[in-house]
Amino acid sequence: MKWIRAVVSLLVAAAIFWGLDNRHGTVPPAGKFLNPFAGFWQNGTRGDALPASLVVPGLQAEVRVAWDGRHVPHIFARNDHDLYLAQGYIAASLRLWQMEFQVLYTAGRISEIVGPVGLRQDLFNRRFGMLWAAERNLSKVMDDPRSRLAVEAYSAGVNAYLKSLGKKALPVEYKILDYAPEPWSGVKCALLLKTMTYSLAAYNQDAAMTVMRDALGETVVDALFPMEPPLVDPVIPPGTAWDFQPLPFPRPNPQKGPEAGSRPAGASSAHGEAADFAPIGTRPSPDVGSNNWAVSGKLTRDGHPILCNDMHLGLTLPAIWYELQLSAPGINARGVSFPGAPLVVAGYNENIAWGFTNGTDDVLDWYAVRFKDDSRGEYLVNGEWRKTSVREERIKVRGGRTVVDNVIYTHQGPVVRLKGEAPFPGADVPEDAALRWLGHDPSNEFIALDGLNRAKNYDGYLKALESWDCPAQNIVYADREGTIAIWHNGKYPLRWKGQGRYVLDGSDPANDWQGWVPRAHNPHVRNPERGFVSSANQKATDGSYPYYLGSDYASFERGARINEILSAARGVTPEDMIRMQGDVLDVRARAVLPRLLALIPEPRAEAEKRSFDELRGWNFESRAAFVAPTVFKQFWNDLNALTWNDEKKGAMERMSWPASEVMVDLVINHPDSEFFDDKTTPGKETLADIAGAAFRSAVSKLEKRWGPFGPGWRWGKAKGTRIGHVARIPGLGVEGLEADGDGHVIDAISVNWAPSWRMVVELGPEVRAWGIFPGGQSGNPGSRYYDDMVDAWLATKPDELIFLKSAGEPNPGIVARTTLRGGK
Amino acid sequence: MIAALICLLVMLVLHILTPYWWWVMIVPFAYGAGAAKSGGKAMRTGFLSAGLLWLGSSLYFVLTGSGIIMGRVARMFGLPASWPMVAITALIAGVAAAFSGYAGYAVRALFKKT
Repeated sequence: MKWIRAVVSLLVAAAIFWGLDNRHGTVPPAGKFLNPFAGFWQNGTRGDALPASLVVPGLQAEVRVAWDGRHVPHIFARNDHDLYLAQGYIAASLRLWQMEFQVLYTAGRISEIVGPVGLRQDLFNRRFGMLWAAERNLSKVMDDPRSRLAVEAYSAGVNAYLKSLGKKALPVEYKILDYAPEPWSGVKCALLLKTMTYSLAAYNQDAAMTVMRDALGETVVDALFPMEPPLVDPVIPPGTAWDFQPLPFPRPNPQKGPEAGSRPAGASSAHGEAADFAPIGTRPSPDVGSNNWAVSGKLTRDGHPILCNDMHLGLTLPAIWYELQLSAPGINARGVSFPGAPLVVAGYNENIAWGFTNGTDDVLDWYAVRFKDDSRGEYLVNGEWRKTSVREERIKVRGGRTVVDNVIYTHQGPVVRLKGEAPFPGADVPEDAALRWLGHDPSNEFIALDGLNRAKNYDGYLKALESWDCPAQNIVYADREGTIAIWHNGKYPLRWKGQGRYVLDGSDPANDWQGWVPRAHNPHVRNPERGFVSSANQKATDGSYPYYLGSDYASFERGARINEILSAARGVTPEDMIRMQGDVLDVRARAVLPRLLALIPEPRAEAEKRSFDELRGWNFESRAAFVAPTVFKQFWNDLNALTWNDEKKGAMERMSWPASEVMVDLVINHPDSEFFDDKTTPGKETLADIAGAAFRSAVSKLEKRWGPFGPGWRWGKAKGTRIGHVARIPGLGVEGLEADGDGHVIDAISVNWAPSWRMVVELGPEVRAWGIFPGGQSGNPGSRYYDDMVDAWLATKPDELIFLKSAGEPNPGIVARTTLRGGK
Repeated sequence: MIAALICLLVMLVLHILTPYWWWVMIVPFAYGAGAAKSGGKAMRTGFLSAGLLWLGSSLYFVLTGSGIIMGRVARMFGLPASWPMVAITALIAGVAAAFSGYAGYAVRALFKKT
């Protein structure tokens, strides 16, 4: 009896111990997690305290950090080494978990944390060659002493912080997911850059385009997805003279034609559900977008140029960016950076300011490969069998066996999806096709950032741009001397027009990339007559530009609206520019709505009647409190569905709809287009029929979804903007924001994509700047500075940014000072 | 009561010095195995000492800056309010300690002469 009691009670105690010491599904290990002395209770605001001094091993001299009231560090070092080391230390102290999680994800190592559920995503990232890309990138970074210093010192700083960190102070996500951080290294800085490169320069629909072309023919495809889209006002003002002699570009093989048919490339649907563990905002998306512009002193009230930038990325907490100032002899830069990489990414210094929008060019092509046999040991090139190479990828799985995957590489790149394999979630990957992606090529963007951080004038900016390969960006520039400029900048393969729009035949070397567009030939403009430069991810040039850079750019609205406002602007102030970043005029609605409303027969039902009146009285602003944007969005959606879904049948199912400018152009200029006919009915439908049906179906859907017509339909609620946690952990994000704006208006706040950093810089005798981002400086969900900027961001009310000349400069906004000293 | 207080103080010191949660099982087990007069006493002492320690200390941390994280964790668990986190914390420690205290006593009982 005693024995039984002892054994049973021991077993019960052991079971309780095991239960509380381990994670169960998504439930953290309760014992560890709830322990008030080491669990989540330790992740409170005490971590926000700023010590007066810190020992940071590795520093060569003293580093002084002034902290302003927004928890922004202003770092002053005596040399570059200490500057980068301090940046690494401070970045880690603010964002350690986020920076590590992002790079583990990109490296294809998420299964180490979450177990077998992460395997499919890891396999995809390994097959896509993300780690390979980072390793190649790092080798080039290490070749240059400047970038080597930046990456090595930064890593040493992160590791110094890691060493100082006890288990109790670990960021709360480590406690929730029950794992521990590992040392940082240069390859992780490179991986961080590749995270962004993938998100910005890997979007493509080549496989789906191929299927569609085979079904509908190239003429129809070109009409729906035109290479010279209507209505688009390009980045470089039309009529700008090209100041170079273009190189001849390659031609397709005249005997064979360039492309593979859709059959060998694999035609099964590739759009699965998004993987549960992909950090938000890391997927390539057509929603990726941004605005930037610079106004010359000719148009401003005080005669100083003003530069503005808001980069639209996935809304996440911890925020994508953190703010900082980096100062040492030869550098004094202020702006935002990615946790995990040295230097300021977008910002300004005492002389110049710079900002980014995604170039959105096509630097990713698929090549259908003919393998000799199922071993995939050899593949056909120019009539001969050539050997493939293999890269072994070992994926460790928490609570499971290590998975070994031998990734096949041709001379073009990795074969991401083998024939017969299930599609990867969220990526359109053709089967047995090799991936040629510029993101794989060794490059050194850190040198470009280093150059921008230190640039004193236009020449410095230009020199920096030479090292910026991928992701290609519209890099806007303004300086105190009065110059404004924009370069559509990156490394571009020399291709014939349209090359790589469809899956290419990988066996014909004529289809390979044949060289590069010379840097000086990249589209650019400096001090244009009109007095401003701007970009919004639209096509960079008009048809006169000699090179082919891509054909899938952002739709026309944001670019058109920016240029419309700036063309009329005089006596501009920074306040005007801040207001302009919050502009919510919907150019699309303004263009088509009067025409469409005129076509709809007088509605009879109450909700239809009121919706109709709401649209008729609308000032076209996407305001959270308005009902009209909700009605228009649904109406537009249904108009597109009724127009395109019958054409898509069997051909375009995997494609997104044609760009909005194509539809707007049809509505305004081609109302009799065949595309409006519903091919599933015997009769012939017109735009009027389609518009009426779309309007009625939209109102009925809104009634079903949001109840009777009224404030319950308001745009802010219907849109439901949210800022999710990077690893999608519930409770650690911000839900239910009611935000003005929409993806295609200047203030591009959609559901979970939005301006990730709003910045306005006035380049007067003293540089002044304003900025705000949707989150906060700290990555700790228990910190006061985790999401403290969200409200001001939502209201487009940026703070004036503190920019110090020296560490000791008195400034009422500085709330604490920390001295970092080297230790043993 | 004094036993519970001693257990509580011992666990407090061990918690401050180390990051391990399982002192709330080890210490009551040791008490049960070494000193408890009955299984019930071992259970009660474990429950009280560990429960009170985690209750008091989590309350202390709430009052000194852990309110925000408590709210977020409560939302993560889908709780309608954040204060139940304190109760859950205390309860988990108390229950774990009670059972391990009892197990300690049961093991000792094997060697006790009847």
